[in-house]
Amino acid sequence: MSAANIIGKSVLRPDAHDKVTGGRGYPVNFSLPGMLHGKILRSPYAHARIISIDTSEAEKLPGVKGILTHKEVPQKRFSPVFFCPTGAKSLVRDMVALSDRVRYAGQPVAAVAATTEAIAEKALELIDVDYEELPTVFDPEEAMQEGAPQLHEDAPDNVAKNPAFEFGDVEKGFAEADHIFEGVYQTQRVHTCYMEPRVCVVDCDKQGHFTLHSSMQHIFGLREKLAYALDIAESRVTVVKPPYIGGGFGGKLDIGYIEILAAILSENIGRPVRMEQTRYEDFITTARHPIKVYLKTGVKKDGTITAREARSILDTGAHATHGAEVIVVHGLFGVTFPYKCENKKWEGFTVYTNNMIGGGFRGYGCPQGCFAVESQIDEICEELDLDPIEFRKKNAHQKGDPHPFNPAWSLNSYGYEEAMDKGAERIGWSDRKPAGSGEGTKKRGIGIGTQGIWVSGCMGFPDIYEHTGALVKLNVDGTADLASGTVDLGSGQITMQTQIAAAELGIAPENVRLSYADTDTVPFDAPTHASRATYSSGLAVKAAAADAKRKLLAIAGDIMEASPDDLEVVDGEVRIKGSPDSAMPIGQVVQVAESPFIVDTGEGYEPSSPPQHKGTIIGASSLAPPENPSPATALFVEVEVDTETGEVKVLRCVYAHDLGKVINPNAAEGQVEGGIQQGIGYALMENLVFDEDTGACLSSDFLDYKMPTAVEMPREIESIFIETNEPSGPFGAKSLSEQCVTVPAAAIGAAVYNAIGVRIKELPITPEKVLRALGKL
Amino acid sequence: MALPELKEFCMPATADEVASLLEKYGDAALFVAGGTFVHGLEARGFLPGVEALIDLRKLGLDKIEKGRKGVTVGASVKFAALEGLSGLDTPAYGALHDALSYPPAQIMNLATIGGCIAASCPFYDVPAAFQALDGVVTVQGGNSSRELSIGDVYAGLFENSLEADEYISSLFLPKQDSGTSSAYIKLETNANDLALVGVAARITVGRKNKISDARIVLGGGLNDTHKRSAAAEAVLNGEQASDTLFQQAADAIDADISPISDHRCSAEYRGAIGKVYVRRTLQQALQRLD
Amino acid sequence: MKQLVTLNINGEQHELAISPDATLLTVLREDLGLLGTKRGCDTSACGCCTIHIDGKAVYACVVYAMSVQGGEITTIEGLGENGKLDPLQDAFIEAGAVQCGYCTCGMIMSAKQLLNEEPNPDEEQIRHAIAGNLCRCTGYAKIVDAIKMAADNGLKGQSS
Repeated sequence: MSAANIIGKSVLRPDAHDKVTGGRGYPVNFSLPGMLHGKILRSPYAHARIISIDTSEAEKLPGVKGILTHKEVPQKRFSPVFFCPTGAKSLVRDMVALSDRVRYAGQPVAAVAATTEAIAEKALELIDVDYEELPTVFDPEEAMQEGAPQLHEDAPDNVAKNPAFEFGDVEKGFAEADHIFEGVYQTQRVHTCYMEPRVCVVDCDKQGHFTLHSSMQHIFGLREKLAYALDIAESRVTVVKPPYIGGGFGGKLDIGYIEILAAILSENIGRPVRMEQTRYEDFITTARHPIKVYLKTGVKKDGTITAREARSILDTGAHATHGAEVIVVHGLFGVTFPYKCENKKWEGFTVYTNNMIGGGFRGYGCPQGCFAVESQIDEICEELDLDPIEFRKKNAHQKGDPHPFNPAWSLNSYGYEEAMDKGAERIGWSDRKPAGSGEGTKKRGIGIGTQGIWVSGCMGFPDIYEHTGALVKLNVDGTADLASGTVDLGSGQITMQTQIAAAELGIAPENVRLSYADTDTVPFDAPTHASRATYSSGLAVKAAAADAKRKLLAIAGDIMEASPDDLEVVDGEVRIKGSPDSAMPIGQVVQVAESPFIVDTGEGYEPSSPPQHKGTIIGASSLAPPENPSPATALFVEVEVDTETGEVKVLRCVYAHDLGKVINPNAAEGQVEGGIQQGIGYALMENLVFDEDTGACLSSDFLDYKMPTAVEMPREIESIFIETNEPSGPFGAKSLSEQCVTVPAAAIGAAVYNAIGVRIKELPITPEKVLRALGKL
Repeated sequence: MALPELKEFCMPATADEVASLLEKYGDAALFVAGGTFVHGLEARGFLPGVEALIDLRKLGLDKIEKGRKGVTVGASVKFAALEGLSGLDTPAYGALHDALSYPPAQIMNLATIGGCIAASCPFYDVPAAFQALDGVVTVQGGNSSRELSIGDVYAGLFENSLEADEYISSLFLPKQDSGTSSAYIKLETNANDLALVGVAARITVGRKNKISDARIVLGGGLNDTHKRSAAAEAVLNGEQASDTLFQQAADAIDADISPISDHRCSAEYRGAIGKVYVRRTLQQALQRLD
Repeated sequence: MKQLVTLNINGEQHELAISPDATLLTVLREDLGLLGTKRGCDTSACGCCTIHIDGKAVYACVVYAMSVQGGEITTIEGLGENGKLDPLQDAFIEAGAVQCGYCTCGMIMSAKQLLNEEPNPDEEQIRHAIAGNLCRCTGYAKIVDAIKMAADNGLKGQSS
């Protein structure tokens, strides 16, 4: 086993066996003796003040053990977002555990803990709330107007954040342009649809120490936010890392009302409290923020971009939550960075409305920007008769260029053009016909969507944590235990970590085992988000494994009377380089290290080995990654549009992505295929919709919230992985998993245009919108 | 999952047992057929005050009997069991074959003939096919029974015309004339969806391609129940089959639809698709006869 | 007021006292500790709760437990024999069809009915058979591969 036999191999997932036989490790399965069940009462009104709340009848119900209203919980304002310190200026601290002011339909107003869920639900019905309804505003641009209801005292015009960036001189740039294009692009609110619901069990012991089991993407952030919201020291909170969770996608990147309320109830009552959200509750707990983008681009007739100006309005709903950060990522990575142009200006608004709160979702503001930017490029190319790939190449960053995010870095590995070229060849780009030129009622088209600049983690972002650690322990049987705070959401973190640790140590991947971890026992890890796990956590795991290996070789060197520099580990054995017969199994070295200093030989006592050999062989790391290298992506899709019904079918996808180095090809393909499902859903059918008057959610089950099933998926999804070998990444790796969700809407929009000659600038591209655009309604 | 006043789940084995349960619980009893619909109703707050669930699946209504004049299907027969119905692959039963081809399997394996009709749900597929094939239900109430055409079962959205003590015991599908063909199409957003629009068409094509006994059943959100389009049928009967005729029949449905606008799509869109589907189901039915 | 019911699950009889409207999903998870059948939506739309009654795939979240007396219930825990995995379970692992895994058991149960009835399904039949099972992680591609793999392995097994 050498690194070459492990990295780049489709090693089977260690957690798969457990999952196909039932799956024990999900937080939803966790329970404790004496556990109570909690339920939340939610406001039917989108904007209201609670005049009074009477829980006396509910308290009398047998089995009810505790009830909370705004009167019983701390009113400390916090932001629930995990990946920034709570005091960070980037965040907006505008939430409390329970408030007397309701700002969205479904906002929690009370919580009950009882001996059964049924009793807790019944108790909710007995809580009497007297609301004073207040005027509502559901549209962010209306919310910014004078006279709109003010939702938060310290946000004039309901603007929670208003970042702006400017480079060069846009006026001069537009003056130099031969053509100026302007457009408005609107994306919708969609839900992450993690299949395991949000769920937690919180246990406060008699000394006031909280232990949490929760389906979340970050154990350290949960600890930090809970401590902050309850105004207690972090050392009073332990969050246990689950073996894995049932999906997150960015929708579990913030502390929920359930964790905070379950904690307070548990502390008050002295018993563990479990809260599991229903699917309806999950639908109104987190979403991708809708963003309206006003985009203006100036180009020369040869396609050179001379200036870009944009304004983005993000509807953040009742509280800023992730909207405070999504707007920045959207403005920078979604709108400003992708193409080289000296003159750029962008302004963003995170606006409060009486809509539901939002959260993180794979792509984090970038899909909304990509849809606008790429759709407009498609328009420009159509109008000026330019090839969409040549246009992009003309304006693309090049390998070696300064990274637009931080000019101190360079794009040391950059396969953007290669991605476009390879994808174009596989889809048959040169056979593409003019827009709308097909015969018959079903018309086909091909489109491209790209994303030239994205992240591998959060290095360089103001206020965002980006460091990770890991612990590796070697065992007498030659296996290794790996402890890490990185939560596996399903995207394969466990597999990646075992492969990297195994490759570094020189043992088989199945001999690396992920062990128990909690916030007390492992070094800090930033969340599983921002496409960071392979690059950041991978580097930390590699470093911890290297540390263990150094210690192993120091001991082995002594035993084998060789310098550690002359030793290597191959196939689980320590060998003198160039001398395979000298092999000593790792386990044997570890045995020496772990065995008693003096041994009874039967004929007396003798030292087994010098004292400096003794002691468990542990490797540790805690580090920040050196950079934030950019992946690059091009997606080509072929669609078929039924021009009588407006239905759009995605026939084929070719996805090309520069990810530096593939750690596990099968797992990487799986990420792309899943990302495309989410991207197709975003492009064509997913939409969280609400009653215009009351703000009540109308699409809060899978009957009404539609996402692609196996039948809607294209029968062909081809993944092309381009390996540019990023120098700073573990074994050359950068990131993969968000881009495949970012680009599909743009590619599909372009393909629809190519099929029928009409462009839809508002997602989702529903059959009704298509039929209207064709003039048939 | 809470029916808070629920006292009892009953599975009576005879009509007498059903009658005595109804005597005990009256209006507070609810019949359960396959059970796929009742949970959705309950979750949306349509079922206050239910004290007893009366599950009909042990009454022995699960037989399929072929006779000279047609087929009698017991009310508890599941959709999946219909897949073995003889003649399902013939053009005449095309609409039923089409309706049964929509997933998911998990519903096919639970949903029943009686339940899907009694639900009076315009968003279902299988009842539309039955109605296009002139299905007649037998309704049991106490010791007596009566017959109703499927269309007469529907009183409104999720409301049937049955008395409180009545339940569907069987469905009779008459033998279809030779030269008969049918088809069903539904508009759905993904493969596990109720019909946004659903159309079943049946035609009998005789000499010189003349059409008789046309049935156009409109479903989905085109009305608040499944409903035949008398106007479309009138355009078709006695005329020679052609694409032009089919388009005329499609255009005629405006007289018979009152589509809904909801968060899935607008009334205007539904109406437009209704027309496209009337034309397509007629074309498909005609093609099946080739 | 609880009612008594006897349920046959994975070949074993269980006598339980349950709520009259308790669903099979709730009874499996809470009364019997069979956690492989999962709650994803509770509204017959996601498929995570798919189990078999008399060999047919159904959504456990809309089956009244009281109504299943006499029926044979099979859950994921009932697949495989003598410590060996069912061919579908093996194939899901081999093909890389498991990511977060929350939909996996339901998918396997749906696929199991398909392969029992159609040992050599084509791709459309496979996609159709799992249309009632939602997955957010995999895009279904490797799930379809796994089911095909299990079918091919089954056919090979037969002919040898």
